[in-house]
Amino acid sequence: MPEPIIEIKNLRVYFYTYAGVVKAIEDVSFNIYRGETLALVGETGCGKSVTSRALTQLIESPGRIVSGQVLYHRDDGSTVDLLKLNDEEIREIRGNEIAYIFQDPHSSLDPLYTVGYQIGEAMEVHGKVKNIKEGIGRAVNILREVLIPDPENRVRNYPHELSGGMKQRVVIGIGIANNPRLLIADEPTTALDVTVQAQILELINELKRKYNATVLLITHNLGVVAETAQRVVVMYAGKVAEIGSIDQIFHNPLHPYTVALLRAVPNPLKKIEKLESIPGTVPNLITPPKGCRFHPRCPFAEERCRKEVPELKEIEPGHWVACHRY
Amino acid sequence: MSEKVEELEAREEYEMTILDRVSDRIIDAFASFINIFKKDWRRRNQSKIKEWKLMAYAMNRSPPALLGLFIVIIYIILGIFGPYMAPWSYDFFPVNYNFSTQLAPPGSTYFLNVTTIENGYIVHYTTNIHYLLGSDVYGRDVVSILLAGARTAFVLDIFIILIGPTIGIILGLISGYYGGKVDETIMRITDMFLAFPGLILAIALSAVLPTRIQNFLNAHTWAQTLMLKLFALHARDVNNLGKLLAVFVALVIVWWPGYARVSRGSTLTEKENLYVEAARAVGLPTRTILFRHILPNIIGPILVMITMDFGGVILTEAGLSFLGLGAVPPIPDWGNLINQGSQYFPQAWWLVAFPGIVIVTVVLGWNLLGDGLRDVLDPRTRRSLEFKLKKKSKGGESSA
Repeated sequence: MPEPIIEIKNLRVYFYTYAGVVKAIEDVSFNIYRGETLALVGETGCGKSVTSRALTQLIESPGRIVSGQVLYHRDDGSTVDLLKLNDEEIREIRGNEIAYIFQDPHSSLDPLYTVGYQIGEAMEVHGKVKNIKEGIGRAVNILREVLIPDPENRVRNYPHELSGGMKQRVVIGIGIANNPRLLIADEPTTALDVTVQAQILELINELKRKYNATVLLITHNLGVVAETAQRVVVMYAGKVAEIGSIDQIFHNPLHPYTVALLRAVPNPLKKIEKLESIPGTVPNLITPPKGCRFHPRCPFAEERCRKEVPELKEIEPGHWVACHRY
Repeated sequence: MSEKVEELEAREEYEMTILDRVSDRIIDAFASFINIFKKDWRRRNQSKIKEWKLMAYAMNRSPPALLGLFIVIIYIILGIFGPYMAPWSYDFFPVNYNFSTQLAPPGSTYFLNVTTIENGYIVHYTTNIHYLLGSDVYGRDVVSILLAGARTAFVLDIFIILIGPTIGIILGLISGYYGGKVDETIMRITDMFLAFPGLILAIALSAVLPTRIQNFLNAHTWAQTLMLKLFALHARDVNNLGKLLAVFVALVIVWWPGYARVSRGSTLTEKENLYVEAARAVGLPTRTILFRHILPNIIGPILVMITMDFGGVILTEAGLSFLGLGAVPPIPDWGNLINQGSQYFPQAWWLVAFPGIVIVTVVLGWNLLGDGLRDVLDPRTRRSLEFKLKKKSKGGESSA
């Protein structure tokens, strides 16, 4: 029985905008198990990033975590609710035990500091090194670990002197600098070209093995999911649609949304006239559809779907789905 | 090896003038100076040094900016050494010894029969006093007062710019970063300050503050000595400090709101960058994010504003002294000199004209420098300047 490192329970995040309350995350619950790579997939705007940021209270105004629990099981057996910690306590965890890798390496590094300084700073703030100077020394090793050639000189480079792939490696380096237990990679390959994407994913996998860490991989690229993850959480419009292992999701998708999503991935072996897409658009989350949020786009929608919100049900061991058809 | 190649490239691309060589020398000297303290600094910061040199080249191509820089350097030198360069002390009143030295025209010379008490002894001596730019009501040499007044203006200038913008920048950063209620509160207070015209507010404050400040000074001797040293005044002027410092406090209070606005605006755009969120995700405390990551990224326009305001402070301060607030005689002050002169204008035109020219020159100098700095600091205009440089050298090649 795998033990969870993070248990998310009934998480709700609302954004209080002038147009109205955007219910970005509604009753999201899932577990992240120790040592696995969990993929969080879904369309743009379905709340993947918001969920990941809510884990360490990184939601900015006008957003607010309305309710829910994020139980974090430390290595030493103690458990904390991350959403109840105060600023100072959550800062201890951010970047130290739970680290992030952001989507766009071009803007997630401060243009005014060398990459070595930025890695050193990440270590210094958590007391892993006495001062940033010592951290820059240690940064050389970290750059070597993320497979940057000639790390002794690269450590003194500014972000603009590096290519996109190199920058993303540096960002990963900042992420692993403090040997985190959970690494949250928020679309780490979106801004990179395809060959570099494969390298970066391989690197994340390797580092995960080496440090025995857990990875939460956020992506909308199902190819990436199949390559790297063991389990998948499919989100739609701020709610969890389906949870399952890679096999279950790819070979036996249950939720109509998952089915449609998989069909939308072009298969190079099949000849088709045009690309499949899911009809309709993501609903406006200020006034989400009543009942199942997917029903306006669902080919199987019935009267019940329009009225009742489907609960997550376990269909087979480890395979959960929120749909009235099951 | 690579260093040499880079140097060659630089030589080929840009036509070097004497000024370029001078600025190169200065920057190289500065780099070697730092190199003494920080090992290997020059090699590690090669690109930074090259960037500085390019900035200097761009600056060298802009005569107004150079003129501004020249004026500003002179002003700073006079601001520091002016009182010691003055031929006559600011509180030496020739009118006591020869009544006709009052409002003496420029270029005149008078004979003085001086009787003073020095170290308890009565001393008699005779001397000639030459008024290059005329004299004021007390027969004081205008040149001497202008030189000594440079210190007053300079000290006020530096400290107001040091304190006012600092307050403004800190408030702006906090306001822009936190947003919401914090932002509303700070910005509404800023609006209240901006709603009053700065000069009016400063007048009101400098009318109210002097006695309080004077009381504080009288109670604290260390503050007295510090201020006397700063303004290069003699001990007997202690009782005149209150009014001078009232202007200082008033201007500081008036000077921060603009900076709060500008830095808030820049912070709002800068904090949207992913690296700010990344810094939060790494677990950096807010103050580190604000001062180490956001501030250096927004400092460009603020730096230009500061340069321009060096002139603005001089002008406002002179304006207040002209209205009779601030420095009182015998404290040497440019605005005060004009105030005196206004009563004898146009007969004693030199009392208005020369301080006026000095003020205009200094303000103009700072503005020209600020303008030039804006062009140099803004990457877009600098690139166009550098582009022009390259073109020039190509033209030179074809003609040769």
